[in-house]
Amino acid sequence: MSARKIVFTSGKGGVGKTTTTANVGAALAKAGKRVVLVDADIGLRNLDLVLGLEKRIVFDLVEVVEGRCQVRQALIKDKRFDSLAILPAAQTRDKDAVTPEQMGKVIDDLAATADYVLIDCPAGIEGGFRNAVAGAAEAVVVTTPEVSAIRDADRVIGKLAERAMPVRLIVNRIRPDMVRSGDMLSVDDVCEILSAELLGIIPDDEEVIDTTNRGEPIVLGEGNRLRSIYEKIARRLEGELVPFTNLDTPGFFGRLLGALKAG
Amino acid sequence: MQVLQTQDEQTLSASTAALGRAIVITSGKGGVGKTTTTANLGTALARRGARVALVDADVGLRNLDIVLGLESRVKHHVLDVLEELVPLEEALVRDKNSSTLYLLAAAQTREKDEVDTDKMIALVQSLRERFDYVLIDCPAGIERGFKNAVAGAQEAIVVCTPEVSAVRDVDRVVGLLGNRFEPQLVINRVRPHLVRKGKMLSVQDVNAILRLSLLGVIADEPEVIVSTNKGEPLALRSDSPTASAYHAIAARLAGEDVPAPTVEYKESFMERLGSFFGGRR
Repeated sequence: MSARKIVFTSGKGGVGKTTTTANVGAALAKAGKRVVLVDADIGLRNLDLVLGLEKRIVFDLVEVVEGRCQVRQALIKDKRFDSLAILPAAQTRDKDAVTPEQMGKVIDDLAATADYVLIDCPAGIEGGFRNAVAGAAEAVVVTTPEVSAIRDADRVIGKLAERAMPVRLIVNRIRPDMVRSGDMLSVDDVCEILSAELLGIIPDDEEVIDTTNRGEPIVLGEGNRLRSIYEKIARRLEGELVPFTNLDTPGFFGRLLGALKAG
Repeated sequence: MQVLQTQDEQTLSASTAALGRAIVITSGKGGVGKTTTTANLGTALARRGARVALVDADVGLRNLDIVLGLESRVKHHVLDVLEELVPLEEALVRDKNSSTLYLLAAAQTREKDEVDTDKMIALVQSLRERFDYVLIDCPAGIERGFKNAVAGAQEAIVVCTPEVSAVRDVDRVVGLLGNRFEPQLVINRVRPHLVRKGKMLSVQDVNAILRLSLLGVIADEPEVIVSTNKGEPLALRSDSPTASAYHAIAARLAGEDVPAPTVEYKESFMERLGSFFGGRR
């Protein structure tokens, strides 16, 4: 039984591919799945930082491809979960150090002993994108409710369609107050433009910056509302039908007003 | 229309007497605000009376046209010019708001590998003959698109956010830019309340690692998202602190003595950061 091979991509950079890959991966591992996260951003790796594993890197993806080590030696097990591991990208090499064929083989090797292989794609649609997509069977496109991000996501969805790859969408960094005031596109707007199946809606949360800087994915912490949102995305990937969280909950004054009116 | 034409002719007439400055705006990491910075800095420079050309080097994923609200006016793109299908003057789109600001859009349905680096250098050179500033909006990453965007530039502005991952990527890019450049730093999306709580790197933290000349600091404001979606750069407004920050950057770039950008001191995250920024090559 081979693993699900899913690439997390977006076109535009900085929309949350790496944060999403780390947190969805951690949520799947918490649910008992064997998960390998692959950083395909050769030269600009960051997945190791987000998981706080940067000091434990010995070998990397390029060294695996060049036969300098076994893929198993390059895997870093997460300190919090035995069932979560990452294959780091090389930091001082170029993306053309790896071919799509080589990438496909590494992903297949990893898939033999895992339930999920999640591939963190670099920004753009150049060689790094082609490599990251080469080994995957499914894609998750991450976007934010901004015109530029949606235009890039649209372009990427087109590229994935050329490969007949199934695509699901995560809309990241939604600010319900801005949607309400008409200053931000809503999730419905985004889904309509991109016409892709929705996998998750993630609100904008300041704490993400801090957890990223500290190398502690939100899913592994306590108390943050995003934790259950990532866990629901993991369950949806598992095939469960999980209703979407209603982000449009009124604030304190809104509730107060509602209560007064109801009274 | 006649008036517009005359103005175009004036702005676009080539002169080798004094070449303009070609500046690439780059970062490594995506989504840190390269395009927003390019559009606003270009607008601010044009407000000072400078002739400015903005070049979108993100072939295949262009966005500078959207941020400027010019997407429906783009007829030709960089590759059309490089392949000599249209003259440069015809491909330049004049900005709606600033009469000395022009956009050269990227091709949306082509690949970055199709851009010939030598031709890109020549294109930037001919823009320098016509404009005081040529700002090149670099794509994310360090692949072919980055190399092409950097090739024709003499100066570099690196945009960074106060995040460990962005700092690491900028550090890598500064190394790749090499000794030909003395990159200047813009720190974007600073949230002072988070810095105060110790939940975000401070300007000082970021530049303790990068050690670059600080060109500007921009706060994280929701109005940036709104202005991007509307296609109206914030620098057009007079009532916004973010706009003032861009105008200060433009003044500093023009050589004016502007007070240093706000620097808040906060010693946090440093132990962790020290270990993986071992040094750049």
